[in-house]
Amino acid sequence: MLGRSSFILVFSLVFGFLTAGEMLCAQDSQVQRTQTQQTQPEKSQFQREKRRGSRAPEWLRRGYTVRTSSRRDNSEMVQLVEPITKTTSRSVIQVLSDGKIVSLGTIVSADGYALTKRSELSADPIRVRMHDDQVLSARVAAVGRANDLALLKIDGDFDFTAVKFDSTIPPVGSFLISSGRTGRPIGIGSMGVLPRRIEHNGRLGVVLREGSDGRAWVYEVWRDSGADDAGIEPEDRIIAVNGQEVYTSESVIQKLGRLFPGEVAQLTILRSGSMMEMNAGIRELGILQETENDSRVNGSRSKRLSGFDQVLQHDTVLKPDECGGPLLDLNGRVIGLNIARAGRVVSYALPSSLILPEMIRLLEQARNADR
Amino acid sequence: MVGVNRSLYALICLIFVFQLSDGRSATGQDFPSSGSTAGTRVSLPPQLEKLLAEGGVPKSLDELRILEKQQQLVANLAAKCTVSVQIGSAQGCGVIVSDTGYILTAAHVAMRPNKTAVIKLSDGRIVTATTRGLYRSVDAGLIKINAGQDGGAGWPHATLGDSDHLKPGMWCLASGHPGGYDRGRGPVTRVGRILGVEEDKLVTDCALIGGDSGGPLFDIEGRLIAVHSRIGNDVADNLHIPINHYDVHWKRLAEGQSWGYLDGFKPMLGVSGNQSTGVAEILRVAAGSPADDAGFRQGDVVRRFGDVAITDFSSLTKAVSDTMPGERVEVWLSRNNQSLRIVVEIGRME
Repeated sequence: MLGRSSFILVFSLVFGFLTAGEMLCAQDSQVQRTQTQQTQPEKSQFQREKRRGSRAPEWLRRGYTVRTSSRRDNSEMVQLVEPITKTTSRSVIQVLSDGKIVSLGTIVSADGYALTKRSELSADPIRVRMHDDQVLSARVAAVGRANDLALLKIDGDFDFTAVKFDSTIPPVGSFLISSGRTGRPIGIGSMGVLPRRIEHNGRLGVVLREGSDGRAWVYEVWRDSGADDAGIEPEDRIIAVNGQEVYTSESVIQKLGRLFPGEVAQLTILRSGSMMEMNAGIRELGILQETENDSRVNGSRSKRLSGFDQVLQHDTVLKPDECGGPLLDLNGRVIGLNIARAGRVVSYALPSSLILPEMIRLLEQARNADR
Repeated sequence: MVGVNRSLYALICLIFVFQLSDGRSATGQDFPSSGSTAGTRVSLPPQLEKLLAEGGVPKSLDELRILEKQQQLVANLAAKCTVSVQIGSAQGCGVIVSDTGYILTAAHVAMRPNKTAVIKLSDGRIVTATTRGLYRSVDAGLIKINAGQDGGAGWPHATLGDSDHLKPGMWCLASGHPGGYDRGRGPVTRVGRILGVEEDKLVTDCALIGGDSGGPLFDIEGRLIAVHSRIGNDVADNLHIPINHYDVHWKRLAEGQSWGYLDGFKPMLGVSGNQSTGVAEILRVAAGSPADDAGFRQGDVVRRFGDVAITDFSSLTKAVSDTMPGERVEVWLSRNNQSLRIVVEIGRME
């Protein structure tokens, strides 16, 4: 981490000129939600209540009605593209980890395997909600760490319908439609950048120095990092990472560098003469460095949004728990699998050309283990 | 809208923290001739004529696919004339609009007239340019690539459109360098629709973020209709400068004049002095102002403000008006016959 600290400075970016006015912003989004979610009566009642107290004048709220009504993913557009996503209506599942909705999943075989985003599966039990609302239990049968994939095995006697991935790469500017559970469109966006590799940007959140003996010690702990939350303190010596001994800061950095954001490092620490074991999460550098204003404009993002062999970048507005589902082109081909909500302008999908070999490898691994 | 917007929007250029016509427009004839090289205009299939003129949702999936094909063509051409603009520690975007190398950008990216800018094209070429005029009231800025760098071929450039007849619901395509220039990635395309049309800004759901400022917004015929300026918190709150402002004020922009200020972004130092004396002596420092925070004192005489030699109080006023809130400026003062350098972070007039 020591070697990287100068790198962090050089690449640190901030907005030029940031504005106050949180309150007004909060009100505006309130208003907007009221108008986009009219299908939820209790909620809009609540929001109407809120709105009465809002300082936003009537003409401004009317302005928002016009604005939301002509968005590219408004209800008319959703209706138009629905026949496309309906082709996946039996293949998209919702994944629950310890009772919380964490992602979508895509069924890839008739014997009940589904792909999803691995870093969101933080806790057992894993359950999945099928297209017909049935909730079935599932387990992680295989893991593809390099691209944040988990292969789930769904238990139960169910008529599983797999999607068919298509390795077509749509040109930049193409429409891309994301499917939700039951095959309803959850987002309409466009192809922004052709597939490319994204190096991972995981950090433990410590700045290291080396003592006269050459052993690495913690000089500084970043606030709100995995190291901070685990209780690592300045002057701690890191003796081992995941059971493997380390000595110099270079060896620490090298071992930590093999862990992806969202993964956990088991650290053996020497503090004032005694050894202790600690588990510290590796987190995204971009999120660790995010200012309050950055996080407001970015909205919520995935825990892991870097470290992929190939991703195509699109601008569909997804929630972090809407990753793991299929991404379709206008011809209804499943051209990828949404893998991360990376920021205000960026969602990433693994292209089918990467998914197909990964899927075959993970299925083989899982079926061999189950035999 | 004005009163509310003021406090809502953030400009979207990036600052690196490590350091301090034959225009088609109806309103003017001042835009430069686009010249010999081809622009970004893409011929429009007849099925899209209504969508171009009125906006709205395609009637069928077939029509949506025709729109998509059109977007693919525009995206390809848009990338070629979208450039990264770096001036000192700040980075934004621009769009080349003539084969002679005029670049439209945001005023807050160009910062001040006569600054040197490093321009990166999407084909990897890196050239130098000089900032021209700034019409700050709408955040419009102009840059020109220094002559003799195109090998005689002319620059790839956008075809200019007209922002006078835009309507909510029309489709548009944005390009730019979100998060800063990334050579392995290049410019990023986004597709959206116009959500609001006002005299001084367009609102779209083409999502923008820091680094996109100054980048181009095209209509589905491939004509440049606006330039990216700033964002609100909501992902559908993206503001662009309508293209006709550049046309109407072309002469002043090309001459290198800077004038006006963007509502909510008026720079403020917080000192007062005497306009008629021959020196910029500070008579009062407002408590809690940026000048106060930086350590200005009554009786200080300002000699230099950033790059600008200060001769009297009005030249100081002009120099401050050429900055942006949040900018850090080096100031040289005389205090008790000693020379002193302090750094002040420019504030915002409430």
